[in-house]
Parts: sequence; structure tokens; C-alpha cells
Amino acid sequence: MRLTALLSMAAKAAFPHDYRYGTSRPWTIAAQRLNPPGKKRRKVFVEPIANEDWHVLRGDTVEILSGKDKGKQGKVAQVFRRRNWVILEGLNTHYRYIGRSGDYRGTYIASEAPLLLKDVTLIDPTDRKPTDIEWRYTEEGERVRVSVRTGRIIPKPVYQRKDGIIPQQWKDGPKDTSPEDTLQTTYTPSLKTLEEEVMEKMNIQEDRRPRKSYWY
Amino acid sequence: MAEWTSKRGPRTFYKSRGARPTGVLTSSRKFIPVQAMIPEFVVPSLEGFNLKPYVSYKTPAGTEQPMTPEMLFNQVVAPQIERDIEEGVFNEENLEKYGLEKTQEGKLFKLHPKNFAR
Repeated sequence: MRLTALLSMAAKAAFPHDYRYGTSRPWTIAAQRLNPPGKKRRKVFVEPIANEDWHVLRGDTVEILSGKDKGKQGKVAQVFRRRNWVILEGLNTHYRYIGRSGDYRGTYIASEAPLLLKDVTLIDPTDRKPTDIEWRYTEEGERVRVSVRTGRIIPKPVYQRKDGIIPQQWKDGPKDTSPEDTLQTTYTPSLKTLEEEVMEKMNIQEDRRPRKSYWY
Repeated sequence: MAEWTSKRGPRTFYKSRGARPTGVLTSSRKFIPVQAMIPEFVVPSLEGFNLKPYVSYKTPAGTEQPMTPEMLFNQVVAPQIERDIEEGVFNEENLEKYGLEKTQEGKLFKLHPKNFAR
């Protein structure tokens, strides 16, 4: 048990407790420049929000309450739970050059800056105005977001995969197992290991046993 | 730095990449392959086998729970023990007939310490 715990510790990425999470993923060069191994940066304070209380999901339409694009509504593209950040598509942008090399100054693009969760609210779908949100339970027992002002349930945004695949419209290729074959249960529980079952089925007799050896 | 492999170092540097030997090298530098050390793949016939390498995206999430030792015991061994208790034949010393083993000695595929790779 301790060996598997050790292996899983090595496999999962370890960050120091004062790691400063930025908009780039931790394995990119930009993030490594932001957090070189020997640095000590000023601590950034993040308001702790429990997993159950987080109400903004990716794909939601939200309105900005403060900042440059105050009053505008946009779709959430990314959520950073570690710093309570939300990045909207095309809003709260600053401009920068990307991909410069040699004399070429690069492409001039608009890059979005993250917004804190408290500067952003969800929008009521009926009147498309910003509201406060609460988590409540429906009669069926489902936990949903309800706008405090009108009492309307805000549905969860449709989960769009980043690779653009829509599961219902997927056409199976030659190497894809069909859903019926995948969900078929052919497993019969037994106390034999897979190797012993295969040996039994193929009538393989193995009477030799390996010599006893020791390892430390 | 990166790991020290056989691709680095001078041309006299030799390091294997972990392949297991398939025979014996004699003192006259002749290599004798030993058939038992050469791996042989045992594959049953794949007639009527419909599973493919990938799973379609249309498949919904399954509802079956992963198998635990308790579930395996309840499904395989517990009915036999209950039947024997009802008949009055249950014997605590003779648990081998349900498939429970006292020691892993003498078995080809030991469960602990696990001596087969999968």
C-alpha cells in the first residue's frame, strides 16, 4: 500500500505551497519563467470558496461589475479555482504582440485578463440582467442555481469539449467499439487469475516452478 | 539533466536499454539461445470478438461498480458456504474447497508477493 502511494506521489505533479498560479499551465515555459525553482514571491491572498459554493461554470454567460468593460456580458472561457479567476471571451482585454522573431515584431492580438469572481455575476435568462445566485434543491432533490431576485433556475451550460467533438454526432471509425459491445457484460466473477483461466482454456500444463530467490 | 542512456557518452560506452537476455553466452563467445527464455505469446482465437482498441464517444457512462474483494467473496464464495451450512456439511478446517488457499507456496501465479506482470 505504501509503495503505490509512493508511486502515485511521483506520478502526480507536486507544487510548493506558495506556488503562484498564473494564466499559463504550469508545464509551459511562461509559467516556468514566472515560478523558477528558487524564487520567493510575495504571497497572493485568495478568498477560500468551498467547492459547493462555486457558482460560475465554464460556458455560462456572466456580466462584469467593475473594471474596464463594466456592464458588458460575455461567455466564460476558463475558470481558475486556485485564484478565483474567470476569463471571459474577448472582454477585459489588453493588447500584445505574439510570436516575435528577429526583426518581425509579431502579431498584434487582444489577450483577455482574468477577472476575480466577485467582479462578475451570473445573468438571469428571463430579463438578462445580473442577479445574485443561491444553490437550492428542487423537488426532485437536484441541486441547482437559483437567482435570488426572480427565483428562476439557471440551467447548467452545455459542456462543450475543447476538441470540438459532439458525442451524439460522432461517427464510429473502424477502430471504435460500438456502444452496445462496450456495455455488454461478459465478466463472470471467479477466484482464478486471468493467467490461470487462460491456461485452463488452452490446456497448458505447467509443472515447473521458479527457483526461490530473494530481493531486498 | 536528462537520464544517462546508451545514446550519450563516448563510442566505447555500452549500456543496455533493459532488454532481458534470451540465452547464454559461452566462454568461447558463442551465444546459445535457450527456448525457455524466449517469450512466446499465447493468444486464444479471436472468433466473434467485437471489442476494438478505442471506445466510441457515444457510449454513456457505465453504472456498474468496480469489483472489490468483498463483492467478489459475496458473489463467488458466500453462496457455496451458505448452501453447505444449510446441509450441515460446513467444516472450518476444509475451506480449500471454496477456493480459499492457506499459503501461496507451490502456486505458479502467487497473489502475494505478486510474481506475474500484467
